[in-house]
Amino acid sequence: MKKFVVVFVAFMFVVGLCSTLVAQDRLDTIKKRGALIAGVKDSTPGFGYVDEKTREIVGYDVDFVKAIANKLGVKLQLKPVTSASRMPQLVEGNIDIIAATMTKTAERAKQIDFSYTYFFTGQKFIVKKGTVKSLADLDGKRIGTAKGSTSEQNAAKALPKATILSFDDYPQALLALQQGKVFAVTTDESILANLLGKAPNKEQYEIPDIQISDEPYGLGIKKGEKGFVDFVNKTLLEMEKSGEAKKIFDKWFGPNSPTPLKRGNFKITADK
Amino acid sequence: MQTGLDFTVIWTNITYFFIGRFPHGALGGIALTLYLAVISCILSFIGGLFLGLMGISHNKIIRYLSTAILNIIRGMPLLMVIFWMYFLLPAMMGGNVNESWTVIMALTLFTSAYMSQIVKAGVEGIPRGQTEAALSTGLHPWQAMIYIVLPQGLRNMIPSFVNQFVSMIKDTSLAFIVGVSELTHVATQINNRTIIYPTEIFFFIAVIYFIICYAFTSLSRWLEKRLAWRR
Amino acid sequence: MLKYQFDWSVVTSGKYFEWLLSGLYTTIQLSLVAIVFSFLLGLVIAMMRMSNAKPVRWFAHGYLEFFRNTPLLVQIFFWYFGSYKILPTVINDWLNKTNFEFGAAVIALTIYTSAFIAEDIRSGVRSIPKEQLEAARSSGFSYVRSMQYIILPQAVRITIPPLINQFLNLTKNSSLAMTIGVMELTYQARQVESYTFKGFEAFTAATLVYVVLSIIITLMVTYYDKVVLSPMKAR
Repeated sequence: MKKFVVVFVAFMFVVGLCSTLVAQDRLDTIKKRGALIAGVKDSTPGFGYVDEKTREIVGYDVDFVKAIANKLGVKLQLKPVTSASRMPQLVEGNIDIIAATMTKTAERAKQIDFSYTYFFTGQKFIVKKGTVKSLADLDGKRIGTAKGSTSEQNAAKALPKATILSFDDYPQALLALQQGKVFAVTTDESILANLLGKAPNKEQYEIPDIQISDEPYGLGIKKGEKGFVDFVNKTLLEMEKSGEAKKIFDKWFGPNSPTPLKRGNFKITADK
Repeated sequence: MQTGLDFTVIWTNITYFFIGRFPHGALGGIALTLYLAVISCILSFIGGLFLGLMGISHNKIIRYLSTAILNIIRGMPLLMVIFWMYFLLPAMMGGNVNESWTVIMALTLFTSAYMSQIVKAGVEGIPRGQTEAALSTGLHPWQAMIYIVLPQGLRNMIPSFVNQFVSMIKDTSLAFIVGVSELTHVATQINNRTIIYPTEIFFFIAVIYFIICYAFTSLSRWLEKRLAWRR
Repeated sequence: MLKYQFDWSVVTSGKYFEWLLSGLYTTIQLSLVAIVFSFLLGLVIAMMRMSNAKPVRWFAHGYLEFFRNTPLLVQIFFWYFGSYKILPTVINDWLNKTNFEFGAAVIALTIYTSAFIAEDIRSGVRSIPKEQLEAARSSGFSYVRSMQYIILPQAVRITIPPLINQFLNLTKNSSLAMTIGVMELTYQARQVESYTFKGFEAFTAATLVYVVLSIIITLMVTYYDKVVLSPMKAR
């Protein structure tokens, strides 16, 4: 039997090597296909979620890739991804671009390329009102978040004694909080605010002013697609200039939206 | 948090439960669950036939190979098979594999292993005398298998195939993990949006799965009786 | 294009190796607990299924059909997220203080598997000649006692191979517990992937563990079949 295991592993190895073959310019592929395939969240209110009436995925992230698809003159095709599945999906070529509340990190930048920051937020917590005054109140507790997210890794760093429970997506973590299964839910403030905005009995919860990290979001693109990255960055800058970026922000997070956030002095600019 | 059960969440989302984003977007929900199950079932029948026949081959190496494949597949959780496919298929196909196909391939590979056992048992259930008779009339062993043994064996296998189809329907729920919008995924999406109705939503889809699976289980039992009767 | 660089050291030593190891430990723990409970519950359901009292028999029948014909994943979600509405608050509060994700996984695996085990036991019992039960009853044993001392010990012996297969399935099925945050082997393999992007190595390690585990158990069953069961049947 051992022999077969060896053969099996060797086979898998060869298959793995094959993956390094075949290269083509993404921009050409997209134009030829006539569609931009974007990986978006489908359960993150505000950024990418299914609208109850139209049954379509909508949100801040979706509007950005829609603008890029329009600029390219192709259709937009959305694929739901999770925090854990988005990078493998991109690297394996199933999607052209990630627009899924993804924080730019040095670790991730080794695997994929990022566009300029198109959204800026920081990681905070949702807790039952009045239970948390400082970060110390959270240590040693059970904290819910989503698999494969930076939130998970930041929380583990900031709260070494806490038990971090990772769910498939943030709403499940919120559900666990509502049912008392976790003490707090942690992720980016923008996501938390939207989660809370949608939640019933939201008056029982709050987001205390405890921030454990900065979270600049970038669109993810496969490594080595310089043409495509440049195109996306150019489009982002144009959107900022024309005011479209601000319009999208206001649509989802402006003063009249269900979850107002402050854009402050954030503007899409070229990274240094 | 106890508020009593409120099933209105089911009715307001009923279209989504049944067909997902179709016709404006991809097919989903129950329709996709059935689609995945039917396609994978057909493919794994073919796969199972191959593996099963390999398992009763006279060639030692082929038999050996089939045992190895069987042991590896049956030793793995289906979830692991799905992750492997998810990981390897795009690599082998040079990118851009539809997730539905990832899941179909995983289900096919996984179920073929079980189907092959059914094929093997079905063929072995046919008296050897039949093969011998066929061979003595000058048929090649493969011809004897295809024209004489398999058709009879297949009839005995039908109930087991239907049972396997039921397992398949249940297994499609794992497609949720790679973001294929079948029934379970659709249910978690709705649950994620509405947040306070998990009991109603998961109970509802459990009942839906039950109705579908039970119908086929009953069919399999009926077939078993009917086919056994005629023999 | 990105070249995939193999780095097996990720899964053979250091922090990530420890993650996988702790995942394996949780898998074994979860499986063993669920195996014990599902066997006991399966035994009870099987006896209820063969009971003379109609309501009891019907209940067991409904139980079997419902839980066998519903996906395990849905059952796991139901117990973890859905049960809080149908349980009293006191129990919910108590559950939440414990590792409820582990508990919910045990409950789901136990109930799901017990339905299959009950059917295996029942067909084991059916293979014991009816006269044995009648003989036991006529010599003064009650139904439960004659089951306990005469029928079940024989039935269980015959049922052992299918039972072990169910236990093996249970162990593999325990991987679904990752969806509710139980840090078992598959969860950890995925975790290693998302931290290191070395999915290939992580999945290979986890797959090897599962396959080796299953091959060992399959060999044991084959041995049992040959050495214990065949002589018994021949008798």
